[in-house]
Parts: sequence; structure tokens; C-alpha cells
Amino acid sequence: MTTAELNSIDAVATALTDRRYIPDRALATTVFLALRLGKPIFLEGEPGVGKTELAKVLAEILGTPLIRLQCYEGLDTHTALYEWNYPRQMLELRLQEARGIDKEQIGADIFSADYLLERPLLKAIQHAGAQAPVLLIDEVDRSDEEFEAFLLEVLSDFQISIPEIGTITAQQVPVVVLTSNRTRELHDALKRRCLYHWIDYPDVAKEIEIVQARLPGVENDLANQLAFFMQRVRSEDLYKRPGIAETIDWAAALLALGTDELDRDTVDATLGCILKYKGDIEKLQTTGLEKLLSEAQEARAFAESPTTR
Amino acid sequence: MESRVTLFRNVMGFMGALRKAGLPADPAGAIELCEGLRFIDIGSPADFQATARTTLMFRKEDLARFDVVFREYWLQQKRPFNRLAENDETEIEGPEPQPEQDDNIGDDDGPDKEERRASYSADEIIARKDLATLTDAEIERARRLIRQFVAAFATLRSRRHQRSRRGQLLDFRRMLRRTAVQGSDATEFYYRRRKIRRTRLMLLCDVSGSMERYSRFLLEFIYGLRRELPDTEVAVFATRMTVITDLLEARSVARSLREVARRAGDWGSGTDIGGCLRDFNDRYARDMLTTDTVVVLLSDGWDRGDAQLMRDEIEHLRRRAHRIIWLNPLLGNSDYEPLTRGMRTALPHLDHFLPAHNLESLARLAQTLRTALN
Repeated sequence: MTTAELNSIDAVATALTDRRYIPDRALATTVFLALRLGKPIFLEGEPGVGKTELAKVLAEILGTPLIRLQCYEGLDTHTALYEWNYPRQMLELRLQEARGIDKEQIGADIFSADYLLERPLLKAIQHAGAQAPVLLIDEVDRSDEEFEAFLLEVLSDFQISIPEIGTITAQQVPVVVLTSNRTRELHDALKRRCLYHWIDYPDVAKEIEIVQARLPGVENDLANQLAFFMQRVRSEDLYKRPGIAETIDWAAALLALGTDELDRDTVDATLGCILKYKGDIEKLQTTGLEKLLSEAQEARAFAESPTTR
Repeated sequence: MESRVTLFRNVMGFMGALRKAGLPADPAGAIELCEGLRFIDIGSPADFQATARTTLMFRKEDLARFDVVFREYWLQQKRPFNRLAENDETEIEGPEPQPEQDDNIGDDDGPDKEERRASYSADEIIARKDLATLTDAEIERARRLIRQFVAAFATLRSRRHQRSRRGQLLDFRRMLRRTAVQGSDATEFYYRRRKIRRTRLMLLCDVSGSMERYSRFLLEFIYGLRRELPDTEVAVFATRMTVITDLLEARSVARSLREVARRAGDWGSGTDIGGCLRDFNDRYARDMLTTDTVVVLLSDGWDRGDAQLMRDEIEHLRRRAHRIIWLNPLLGNSDYEPLTRGMRTALPHLDHFLPAHNLESLARLAQTLRTALN
């Protein structure tokens, strides 16, 4: 599918749903506008709500490569942009010297595009294909401010200058998706340059839909139980609340175990699928899994009772 | 054409409403919104709202308030999306700005502030905190210790690299360049090493009644830090947060102290650490903290405020700053009941929790930090 074919918010929403990514209307709007306006998308949200997934699905829809840059503190141009291929340069240098080539010439030869190693940002800018690639800049909150400033520059003109070669400008502006888990506040300047969207935890109905879209094997009843239980768990004061990614993992685990009913023992045995900290697991067990289960059940009964409809 | 103009005017009015509510509304955002509107069906309020939100907003905290302002401006006042030609002659007016959570700030400007001021005259405060009462030798010693303390931060290694004459990492790029010019027989070695991180300090000093005894030490500490790291920011708090960095520029120490005491009207009163930190997070943190900032909180932790609030706000602070260090004068005291309620709730979010009651403890402090931080 080309960007031109995604000509309305509905078209974007349908395309995403077809790839088993269930967007809400606002997210579909953001994606649609990003494609139209050629602006980066900035996705924020708790871990596991589908930020990275969106970029992957987008690349699938557009039929273009996904170029991913994972951020971390100290990420620099050598890892993000380009690096010279030193061993090859060294060899070539020796060879050309042996052949008696002029030194000026050697310098020009070994600092040419042939000896350049593309890193994600350069790759995205140099991409030559019918469709612009999707550039995923993942967990940008983990990078440091110097990198943020650099990113701001790249994202505003999509051109890169390499001292030895010159300026390289993007053939087509890539579809850029930035994600952040908000471990720290990013500078407003960077966020201003993007279309911002906060992805929240899904509500029950959406969570059920997502589980069933991702794992068609899960029975309707189990999907319901899972979703209501997860909603209840998220209302606990946990160090790390489980996201939708954890729900899917859990559903897959239950599917593999052949379980079709959530009960105390099953939950107890598989709690590691959704909670990744010992303290959190202990906390839930103190609250009482049975209590949680029955409360989730009540919420479900209440939601499904005809009077509330 | 007419309708476009009306829509544009309404969008500008909306920007005004956002600005009134303290939300971001810059012209670049407005242009982007107008561009975005070309592509969507502006007859649909939900899509219109999503478009406005994604183009104009960029902070999660603002989203809820944005939705309120949006509803009030476009929906309650029935500004038409679809029948754009319909012109409303009324003055374009935003809703009243949402009440901020600054009740406690407002309260502080009330009569009880006057009372506090009356009970502590500026001269009294100066007498109690006069640096001149330290002997020359003590001052010299304090300065040396504070230098060490600061050095513990100032030599933090960044994860970035810079050129260096020696080190463990070879700078291939530079070597190849040189080699290309000089020929491969003359290969020299160049190195890279981890850069020294530029550290900034944000000092938050408790000046409540229970901290009075340490105020001399506290002031020496403030001035010492400022001498070593001139861009250190300083704020004092008891029942509210007062940034005093600018006052410390004054040449005369005595005069700036008088100024500090005047501005911080709550000097010597009770403590509401949680409320003060919230005040700080809301008003100053965005401008004053960077991810390079080490926040030093100097307080005995006796807190009359809400312990839960304090925990939340420290957690909040933690996300903005590089490190949080709590220096506690009472920790050095042998008959000190170790943990007050407020402090206990804050502990998990602190990077370091260290004693600092006099110059001796400072010496240990520098050493601890140097090993712990790197």
C-alpha cells in the first residue's frame, strides 16, 4: 500500500486493523496526518502499550523496510549515523601506497562512499526505493541531551553532512516514529517538531479485541476474563504495571497450556508472564489472587448486565 | 473563502483560549493545525479534536486540560465545524483558565505570612547565620571540604568520548586521516577517552525551624558550592519554595542574606516538604533541571505535610534529574530516632542518603560520593 492509498483516517484505521493492530481513532488520525504532512510521530506511553509495534505494522502496510535505531545513553554519530570502515581503509591504503599512488589521491580514495558504513539514520536518508522507509527511533528517552539536539537537526531537514564527502539529502522523507517510555522528560523542542500522541492502556473492550486479533485461538470467554483481570491488576499500586504486550504474552502462554478458565492456581503459576518484579508479585499475592479474580468477575458481570447497557 | 476566514479566526481564538489556560499554543503549532485540517473531515468533532491535540500538544500532563478547553471552546460555545460560513460576531473568548493546583501558594500569601515575617526580623536571622562567627581556620577547612565534595560530581565520566593523548580506546578515524597524509610507515597512535560530564547542581535547602541549628553550616555550604560551581541553583523552602540564586550574586554577603530572609518569608517555620517539592516540580523543574543536574536536598526530614505527596514528588523529581542526594544533618546525631515518616517514604527514590551535620561529616561525604557515583 502506498501513502497515497491511505487517503483518509478510516483507510489508515482499516489498514492497521487488517494487520491486527487495533488503533483508536485519535491514533489513526495522528498516523494519517503524519503521512500527509510528512512529520515524525512521537509516541509516548507506558511500556508494552504498542508503541514500537505501530512502527513495525506501518512498515508492513507500506511494504517498506523498518530501519530501527535503539537509543541508549552515549549513543553517538558513529552508531547512529555512519562510521568509516577502518580495516578496509587500512588495507586499501597499503595497497595504493605499494602501487605508488599520490598521497593526496589516496586520501580522497579511502574517504569515499565505498568505505562508509551506514548506520540507521544514514540508511534511512539514503534509502532508494519507490516508498520511503519507516524509521523507528526507539526509546529516545534513554539517549542523552546531546543526541537529542542532534536528532532535532536531522529531523528538521533530513540531510546529513559528512565532512569528507559532503552533504547527503534524503531522496524521500522517511516515515519517522519516535517512542518514549518517559523515564525522563524530553526537550520540548524535539516534541514540538512531531505529531504527539499518548498511548494509554486500552479499555476492556479494546483489550479483548486486541487479544483476539493477535491470538485468534483464544476463546471469547477467556479473552474476557483476561481483560477484566488485567484492568483490575493495573489498578493496583505496582512498580511496573503490565501493558497490553504482557496480556498477549499471557494469553499465548495460557493457550499453550490449554487453559480456558482463569482460576487461582493458573494465575499463580503464570503470574510471571505479566509481572516482572518480585515485589509486584508479592504485592498481588498479599492482596489475594482470589480476591482479585472475584473482583474482576464482578466488574465483568456488571459490565455485561443488561441494565448498564 | 468566507468560511476559511471564519475557521481561521476561530482557530486563532482557540489558540488564545489555550494560551489563557496555560497550554502550549505557538504560531508554528497553529500553522500545522491548519495544514492538518485540510486533510480531515472537519465536520467530525472527534477528528477535529484529535488533529488539534496531536499537532498542538506534546506533554501528557496537558492532554486532559486540552480536552476541557477544546470542549468549552468548540462544542459548548457551538462554534460550527461544518457550517463554517455562519459567522459569530461575538468577541472570541476562551474559557476561564482552569484552577491550578496552587492553593497552598495562595494560602502562603495570606495573613499568616505576615505573622511569620514579624516573628523573625531580618537582623535576628543574620545574627544567627553570620559567617563571621566561623574562625578563619574553620572557613578555610570548610572550603577545602566543599571543594572535595564538588570534585566528586565534577569528575563524573560521561559515556561520550573525546580526543586524548593517552587512553585505552584508539581513535581510528583520526589515525587513518593522519596516515593517509603521512604514509602508513609513520602511523601514530591517537586515543579517545570518556569525556568528563558537565555537572550542574540544584541545591534545595530546608530552612524550617528544626533546621535552625544548622543554618550556619548551611550557608557556608551554599556559598561554598557556588564558589566551586558558579551555575549552581539554590532554592530554600519550609512551607513554600523560594529560588534565591539571583540574590546570591550580590557582592555583600550580609546584604544578600537580608534579601534572602526577606524573600523567603517562611524562614524558620514548619515544614511541608511534599508541598514544597510539588511547587518546585510545577514551577521550576522544567527550566532548572536537566538530565545532567544533581539535586542535593539538605533537610532533616521532619515533615508536617502529606507523606504520600512527598514520596510522589520525590519520584517525580527523580525522573527529571540525574541524581538525587539527600544530606541529613540529623543522621550524624547518635540519639536521633533514625527515620521520620516522611523520609522513610522518600528513601526508595533517593540515590544517596548521607549525613551532613558539620564539617567533619563533609569530609566523609566527599569520599563516599566519589566512589559511589563513578
